[in-house]
Amino acid sequence: MITAFFYRALGAKLYWVVGLLLAAAILIPASNLLLPVGHTLRVPNYAVALMGKYLTYAMLALALDLVWGYVGILSLGHGAFFALGGYAMGMYLMRQIGSRGVYGNPDLPDFMVFLNWQELPWYWWGFDNFWFAMMMVMVVPGLLAFAFGWFAFRSRVTGVYLSIITQAMTFALMLAFFRNDMGFGGNNGLTDFREILGFSVQAPATRAGLFAATCVALAVSFVVCSAITKSKLGKIMISVRDAESRTRFIGYRPEYVKLFAFVVSAIIAGIAGALYVPQVGIINPGEFAPANSIEVVVWTAIGGRGTLVGPIIGAILVNYAKTWFTAAYPELWLFALGGLFVAVTLFLPKGIVGTIGDYFAGRRERKLVEASDTPPPDLPVMRPQNAESYRGETRPQPAE
Amino acid sequence: MLYVAPLWPAGHLSRKGGDHSFLCRIRTITVLAKRTACLISPLAGEMAGRPEGGAKERSPMSLFAGLLAFILLALAILPAHAQSVEDLVRQLPDGSFSDRGRVVQALAATGDARIAPLLESLAAGDLNVIEETGRIVTTSGRGDTVTATDALTGEEIGEVASAGVERIRVNNSLRRAVRTAVGQLTLMSPDAGTRMSAARAMFQAANPDNVELLDEAIAQEENPAVLQIMQEARAVAILRSDAEPAAFAEAVDVIVARGDRQALGILQAALSSADADVTPTIDAGISAIQRHLQLLDVGQNVWYGISLGAVLLLAAIGLAITFGVMGVINMAHGEMVMLGAYTTFVVQNMIRASFPELFAWSLAFALPAAFLVTGLIGIAIERGVIRWLYGRPLETLLATWGLSLIIQQAVRTTFGASNREVSNPFWMSGTFDFYGIAITWNRFWIVIFALVVFAGLLFVLKRTSLGLQMRAVTQNRRMASSMGIRTPWVDAMTFGLGSGIAGLAGVALSQIDNVSPNLGQGYIIDSFMVVVFGGVGNLWGTLVGAMTLGVLNKFLEPYAGAVLAKIFILVFIILFIQKRPRGLFALKGRAVDA
Amino acid sequence: MRGMRRTLIAGIAASLLVSAAGSAAAQDEGPIKVGVLHSLSGTMAISETTLKDVMLMLIEEQNKKGGLLGRQLEPVVIDIASDWPLAAEKAREMYEVNGVDAVFGCWTSVCRKSVLPVFEELNGLLFYPVQYEGEESQRNVFYTGASPNQQAIPAVDYLMNEEGVERWVLAGTDYVYPQTTNKILEAYLQDAGVAPEDIMINYTPFGHSDWQTIVSEIKAFGSSGKKTAVVSTINGDANVPFYRELGNQGVDAADIPVVAFSVGEEELAGLDTSPLVGHLAAWNYFMSVDTPENAEFIETWHAFIGSEERVTNDPMEAHYIGFNMWVGAVEKAGTTDADAVIDAIVGVEVPNLTGGTAVMLPNHHITKPVLIGEIQDDGQFDVVWETEDLVPGDAWSDFLPESAVLEADWTAPINCGNYNTQTQTCGGAQAAAN
Repeated sequence: MITAFFYRALGAKLYWVVGLLLAAAILIPASNLLLPVGHTLRVPNYAVALMGKYLTYAMLALALDLVWGYVGILSLGHGAFFALGGYAMGMYLMRQIGSRGVYGNPDLPDFMVFLNWQELPWYWWGFDNFWFAMMMVMVVPGLLAFAFGWFAFRSRVTGVYLSIITQAMTFALMLAFFRNDMGFGGNNGLTDFREILGFSVQAPATRAGLFAATCVALAVSFVVCSAITKSKLGKIMISVRDAESRTRFIGYRPEYVKLFAFVVSAIIAGIAGALYVPQVGIINPGEFAPANSIEVVVWTAIGGRGTLVGPIIGAILVNYAKTWFTAAYPELWLFALGGLFVAVTLFLPKGIVGTIGDYFAGRRERKLVEASDTPPPDLPVMRPQNAESYRGETRPQPAE
Repeated sequence: MLYVAPLWPAGHLSRKGGDHSFLCRIRTITVLAKRTACLISPLAGEMAGRPEGGAKERSPMSLFAGLLAFILLALAILPAHAQSVEDLVRQLPDGSFSDRGRVVQALAATGDARIAPLLESLAAGDLNVIEETGRIVTTSGRGDTVTATDALTGEEIGEVASAGVERIRVNNSLRRAVRTAVGQLTLMSPDAGTRMSAARAMFQAANPDNVELLDEAIAQEENPAVLQIMQEARAVAILRSDAEPAAFAEAVDVIVARGDRQALGILQAALSSADADVTPTIDAGISAIQRHLQLLDVGQNVWYGISLGAVLLLAAIGLAITFGVMGVINMAHGEMVMLGAYTTFVVQNMIRASFPELFAWSLAFALPAAFLVTGLIGIAIERGVIRWLYGRPLETLLATWGLSLIIQQAVRTTFGASNREVSNPFWMSGTFDFYGIAITWNRFWIVIFALVVFAGLLFVLKRTSLGLQMRAVTQNRRMASSMGIRTPWVDAMTFGLGSGIAGLAGVALSQIDNVSPNLGQGYIIDSFMVVVFGGVGNLWGTLVGAMTLGVLNKFLEPYAGAVLAKIFILVFIILFIQKRPRGLFALKGRAVDA
Repeated sequence: MRGMRRTLIAGIAASLLVSAAGSAAAQDEGPIKVGVLHSLSGTMAISETTLKDVMLMLIEEQNKKGGLLGRQLEPVVIDIASDWPLAAEKAREMYEVNGVDAVFGCWTSVCRKSVLPVFEELNGLLFYPVQYEGEESQRNVFYTGASPNQQAIPAVDYLMNEEGVERWVLAGTDYVYPQTTNKILEAYLQDAGVAPEDIMINYTPFGHSDWQTIVSEIKAFGSSGKKTAVVSTINGDANVPFYRELGNQGVDAADIPVVAFSVGEEELAGLDTSPLVGHLAAWNYFMSVDTPENAEFIETWHAFIGSEERVTNDPMEAHYIGFNMWVGAVEKAGTTDADAVIDAIVGVEVPNLTGGTAVMLPNHHITKPVLIGEIQDDGQFDVVWETEDLVPGDAWSDFLPESAVLEADWTAPINCGNYNTQTQTCGGAQAAAN
């Protein structure tokens, strides 16, 4: 019965995505660890780390889609939440190095030692503890999103203005984290990690475990996002996206709806960042760069915003293309990426998933119309892909 | 080595009235020669050093006495002198830089008229030594053989193999020695500009030994600006000597009157060696200068702020059209700026290759070229991409971001990844002084240029039919269309105009920044901040926004440092937008309330 | 619809798996692969593209000579796009997918730091060609650029002794190399008797373009009557506007000389240098150095790149030395196996381009001459001073208290990158013993 409820409420799509992710969480690590090196079905270490990274990006794109695709907030600063989560994890990993740093100082990370820091700054306290760090992974981006959203949404900063100030936020954070005086390692960031929860970060088993954890985290985020968007709140979110003023006139408080989505999204982005860091082995202020956040927007757009599967596919596809191009045709990589952005915005305005969805929805409708004149009984309640509603975002309304 | 002692009394052979270059040169030489002579031949020094009794007005007698002294002196030391100049010049390539610095001092002390040009070419790195003969020459031409000219005598030596010629190396300390030496030698040059730089050199290297020389020069100087520097140089020299308190106090006054940072440093140094009764004067002078400098600092910061604001304005004003007026989030705006800078590079290269005489005015050719190139590219972008995206502003962001990547990489492939050299024309180099505020010419012209562009744009928008149509289309596209305005054409023109102005900004920025494929990236975020802060769709807002952010940044920078200042500005903008969600000068009316 | 979606997702997953599974097994025959790991796009492309080209040239030249161990060399070029986590990923890809035997790459410290764990884990070889802050010695990395004692300290000595400088501005971009170098210099200057108020330290962000305030601060600091010099660790891109502002505000090299550690021929290529004549740079190589080796190198470079305009610079020489050392070590070991090469390479001597020899030291740094050059109006440097002997690179600075006791030695019996000479233990064991 509960299954049936979920099935009705969340749709079959959910099962596919979650099932696939969980299967990947089991099969890929198993193939990597159990099969002998050289076996055709074995996933090499390199690919495990790479796919783990893609999945964290997918999670970040999913988080962005929750606010952009469903509430119409185009955040050009989501990289900041990702990076903050990453830094929280990085700080935990730094503390795990303990006295095994090059200077053998048990109290201070190496970069503080050679810049003559005498004691650990207060904001590093507590990061020795894994659970505290994991809490911070969610609390820090969540708090920033709350503070930022609280002011911005109540002041009714919308559209382009909001996008630009989110960009200002991530840019300011980037400059701040570049400063060595901040105590986050400056430009070099945090690196040279040894252990996570007592397991060596370089061991294949740890990598496989991190990969599985990422799959699970993505699956959970997907379920959460689905649940939110399919709930009553989700409908209000969509109405805020499509007609904020009207929603307000009906009596809803769009600012709280936006704030909720923004904070949830920031927390998911933070968790993605935390999973990203041990898999790539470094976190540095470059992650805050505005260009990175714009790239996330592009993944989402390419995959199809307003669909939860879209951003996941977009993130994986674009990053896979990046991996392939930078190795195969390094000189052509930017041409290809740039061309892809232009082509997708021009020819696939709803992204890959949106376009495919439209195609099938259209075909099914035609079939149904052919079959009978009665309206289809089980059409999806919401069709966020609706073309007109998209264009409403910040379109200047004709002055009557 | 020789040491030039201050044996020569002041006031000798000075005169008022029309200066005569020949006499002047003679006199310079005489003074210096006599001072040298004091060391080389005490007898000659005594003879030549006979006091003249402060002959102020020109009299046949004094002229005669001077000439006589000169001749006597020349006779006394000529052989030694001639030999020593030749010998000393030959020593120029040898030894360490400090040894050679002493050779330069000795050369200056000879007072030979040929020394100043020789030393100047030494400092410029133009002197060479022919390895075989040890002769010091200047060379011209390129290739395997070069034409050599004796540096001292100007005698043509003819072709020599360039492999056998070695350049005489100079470093900063040697250049300093040369500067001081040339200063001593040219302090009484007929040309006021030369005397000015000589006086400046004497000020930089003020030395008690030079007091009489300066007195000499001061007595016959007529140009008030040069005179002032000379007096200041003399004052510094006195402050560094153990002069009597009266002279010391007088010198303090001169330096206090100068009133700049260097004066402050000099006074602070003098404080240690001053008598107790002069100390209060110096203290008062120091605090007066400090007050003055604080005031100047404010003025200087305002100027720095305005010039930063002008750069921001230039970078943002094209965006104010494409983003502000058309609503296109044009992430390729920075690349238009970059293309403008590269156009400047190409134009300069073409001019350098074909019409080198026009090079100083290359920017005048680059401006229309850059406007056309970027304007046409802008129109192409509008026709090819943007026009499909009207009404979807956030999607224009993605498409233009893609375009910016393509343009960047295309430039990198065409011109290479490294910086390209765009040179400053002479009228954009150097500094001028505006009531104590140092203003660099390039920043000055950029401020002027930014304001001209702003005024021009305002004119186009308010006074031309294109501007009228642009505003009409922005306000109500459908209505404008039904009134017979060709909206697609207006769109293309507007985007072309915005891009063309970005190209103009590129020409200006090529004068202060790197011309590299990354040029645009550095300005795009700042540009958006300026437009959003000022208020989208309002040109005056862009002007006020740019200037406010520029001045604010420059006032924060000395206290917070460059990084923190920038962070504060960003936080300030974020907070400001909360207060005024549509920027400083928000457009009013229903049209904007999406 | 569902069917289609399933196929799509399955297809993507499968293509990922297949492509990822294509990792190359170790190949003993066929060409020896050499990885070139530089940024060809993004902010660092400006400096690193040239290094990629020089590596391709060196590999081509080596192949003309008959390759290495009778096998041809094959370059594997991957763009890391100035994205440092990507650099780590690409380094791994080079080893696991392309099967390279050695990697030449990175420019920034953060790039090196980011790929370091990968080289450690996969037991690879990285030749790092840029001057850096020191405080590191890793078994799998060879530092062919200068450490601070091969650049910063001799330059300061020169200014103190030859120019009589008493007052110092340490200006840098805010990242780890300037921070560490300035810490070392500050300690060194104070040891030499410079008062703390005669040292001004200033940091600016990357790509800083408005230098008006800072240049006027430098002028103000330099007007106290004491001879002042600026030690600049300002990073690449920010230098052009910095020098332009210096020139325009009339800061004459004869009054306030600027000695730079990150400005070479390549950076000056974007600049009219006539107002800058006399400002200094400290490097281990200048294009203007007059030796037969250098003339040949420049000629080969011009022929390879197809332009007489292109300059050469210090990191290019570092790659030249590093590549020849690797070739020498592989020949000595008779194999490209990393452990054998690491053992063989210590002590390998190759000629550098300035007429001396570079020796790989046990701490994986090399010996270098230190040259001080003055900027000329043609964009070249004129050497005004050089060290008499080659200076061995020092991994751990003697002027930082924590690192003074450390030393690196990758030969038996120590075999340690951070050996504590006081406790005679390797690494963090000191603390563990307490």
